[in-house]
Amino acid sequence: MTRERFTSTGIGKLLTDGMALPILVVLALVVFFSFASDAFLTLRNLTGISGQASTLLLACLGATSVILMGSIDLSVGAMVLFVGAVTVKAINAFDLGIGALFVGLFTGTALGFGNGLIFAYGRIPSFVVTLGTLSVFTGAAWEILQGRALRYDSLIFEEMAIGQLIPRFPNIALIAILAWGLMVFLGFATRFGRYMYIIGGGEAVATTAGIPVRRYKIYAFMLSGMMAGLAGALAVARLGTAGPTLGQDLLLNTLAAIVVGGTSLSGGVGGVHRTLIGVLIIALLDNGLNLMGVNQYTQMMVKGGVVIGAVLVGQDRSKSTVMK
Amino acid sequence: MSKSFGGVPVLEDVDFSVSRNQVIGMVGENGAGKTTLFNIISGIVPADAGTMELRGGPFSPASYGEASALGVSRVFQEQALIPNIKVYENLLLSHEAAYARWGQLIDKTGMIATAQRVMDEAGLDIDVRLPTASYSFSKRQLIEIARACLIPTEVLGLHHPVVLLDEPTSALEKSDEEVFRRLINRLRDHSSIVLVSHRLTEVLELSDVIYVLKDGRLVATLDPDEADERILHGLMVGRAREADFYHESEQRAPDEAPFAFQVTGLSRSGQYQDMSLEVAAGEVVGFGGLLNSGKSEFGKGAAGIVPPDSGTVSLSGAAPERPVIRHLTPLGLGYVPAERLHEGLISGFSAAWNLSLAGGADTFATSMGLWQTQKEVKVTQEYIAALSIKARGPHDVCATLSGGNQQKVVLARWLCRDPRVLILDNPTRGVDAGAKEEIYKLIRGLSSKGVGILLITDDLLELIGLSNRIMVMQNGRITRVVEAPAHAKPSERELIEYMLSQAPPPMNAGVHHDMAAAS
Repeated sequence: MTRERFTSTGIGKLLTDGMALPILVVLALVVFFSFASDAFLTLRNLTGISGQASTLLLACLGATSVILMGSIDLSVGAMVLFVGAVTVKAINAFDLGIGALFVGLFTGTALGFGNGLIFAYGRIPSFVVTLGTLSVFTGAAWEILQGRALRYDSLIFEEMAIGQLIPRFPNIALIAILAWGLMVFLGFATRFGRYMYIIGGGEAVATTAGIPVRRYKIYAFMLSGMMAGLAGALAVARLGTAGPTLGQDLLLNTLAAIVVGGTSLSGGVGGVHRTLIGVLIIALLDNGLNLMGVNQYTQMMVKGGVVIGAVLVGQDRSKSTVMK
Repeated sequence: MSKSFGGVPVLEDVDFSVSRNQVIGMVGENGAGKTTLFNIISGIVPADAGTMELRGGPFSPASYGEASALGVSRVFQEQALIPNIKVYENLLLSHEAAYARWGQLIDKTGMIATAQRVMDEAGLDIDVRLPTASYSFSKRQLIEIARACLIPTEVLGLHHPVVLLDEPTSALEKSDEEVFRRLINRLRDHSSIVLVSHRLTEVLELSDVIYVLKDGRLVATLDPDEADERILHGLMVGRAREADFYHESEQRAPDEAPFAFQVTGLSRSGQYQDMSLEVAAGEVVGFGGLLNSGKSEFGKGAAGIVPPDSGTVSLSGAAPERPVIRHLTPLGLGYVPAERLHEGLISGFSAAWNLSLAGGADTFATSMGLWQTQKEVKVTQEYIAALSIKARGPHDVCATLSGGNQQKVVLARWLCRDPRVLILDNPTRGVDAGAKEEIYKLIRGLSSKGVGILLITDDLLELIGLSNRIMVMQNGRITRVVEAPAHAKPSERELIEYMLSQAPPPMNAGVHHDMAAAS
């Protein structure tokens, strides 16, 4: 979790270092909810959780790079909604089948490119840029949907998300895990990944050493858009519809999962490998509290508390290392 | 009084006193410790050893706020006036409580009257009801000086405040210099003033006593009537330079053409103007000058980090279309910044991560963009051994290394890329003597391998000892080129004279003021 430790040795250490606490939290939640609700530890429910968590994980994958780089992308949920709406429109108009997935990927990348361009060339804080585009994308999506839920009819597209190549494990979860693996590789083993850490760790150093900071900032936002696009298309495939509330909970949930996982909002510390744990924590909380019959409002309060608590605990840990 | 940063002493046993209504002149070259001394007196940093007394009582302010409440105030090199509020509001900033009427309301009329009285007393023609930004940078400087000298008496009833002036005249327009002299002469009736300035004529004229600081020590106390500029120059420098320390015997005559590095007509508005020079393979070209001479800015321009407005940069005859660093590094350029912890390295990252950190010449990424972690670790291990970097291994975090070892990591970043030209900005700042010598040896070694080096430094001995040629910069221009062959090195005194001599007029004075007002 601390700067001192995350670079200390190879990838093996990186994967485990500082992740003990978040993993313990996951285990504790599993134990707690399995006692609290009989329905929790059933195959049916676990399949359900993996489906729900997948959209969140996909949406977080690119956004983690943005946060690692020291910026923030608030428009992830809005991009999921917009891409979802566009994908349904495209399927209905052209009968694209699986090809609709590429419509989603492309649309998302284009939205992220827009975010990145405004951020890097307009020199506007990413918080402001993506808060603005959050509203723009949401409005545009509602315009497309005309405020209603749009249905489509393409079994093969639905199958991509809810089919089970591996029994009891929906395809969307398989895709999300594969995409996660790819992103972990991107983070650890490529120039792109290294530059994300460097820009987040010290942008002035990156500039002085001749790293094309602006270009990589745009790449990061494009990646965030692309993964939001994938999440949007697959969410639509899973739900069979694109409604006005699609992606609504992702604004809080993506940031919560990334931060709870242990990527620092100040940049340079963390990584997408941790985000998986954060996603599990958020998804388990959502599911478990639902099964226990806790109402929506209380759930929101609990989740907010968990996010703040995670940062508090995280800070504490890094402080203690600095002191020693 | 003593102070050291990271084990490097910047002030040693400094001992002096200021009497009432006295103007003290404080002179010394860059890095002599003047600013640190001021920082201690004004409570910004604590002293490591030593005590201070104020009006007979012990004085150890914990913060600048506490120091100023006791009547010790300071005019910083950067202006502290807020441009978008009225002059009187600035003058009485943080003293509003003294003008509170009926609870929270503020007696504006009273404030204006006090402020105007202060300005009149200082002999300044200022209407305090106008916005501060409506006065020029130069005038605002005068307002700030008067505020520091007179407001403590006026508002807090503190008699004889102590005012520290840090280079107050460097930004003054010619027409205001006379006003400044009159102002100081008026103010000395009310306060004690410590004046730090590179303008020696001014110090000689205004001070009652002159102290000379050199390498953190107070080396002389002079009566201005018996001193002149030449004497001051000699006292400010005059250290023994050990040729061995700088490996002067290894200094070699630079190769004949072609040049390793060439800049032509490099200019950037408000910073440096029309810089043209050539560096031969194996040559060390030094850049000396005062802090505002533009030498560091030129270094950043020549390296393409802050791209110049106009001009070209070429390495071995090849000039990229635009001189930006990521097009220059593939041609063999490396740059080591002065601000090591801000721009040089990321202290939370490991030595290996910092060594591999450079764009343009990405020696640790394949053409597919894959990162070669093993190569990175191996190369770092090699350089830890070659430069005797005191680290446990490539994964050691740079925050745990000393300044000298951190600097070696930054140097290794470029060395492993086989540079042809290195631009070094104060490469030994904050580095202990042992590491310093190792870095000098390294520079010599590079030069004998034919690397052209641009050495920008505030350390005069280093400048003289290492350079083949020395460019003296003043106000963004090269005003003198001094040859420095191994057998005929110029003296420090000669160089400091060139640096302090009557400079050409500041360039783009207007631009400078606008920038200051905007910031």
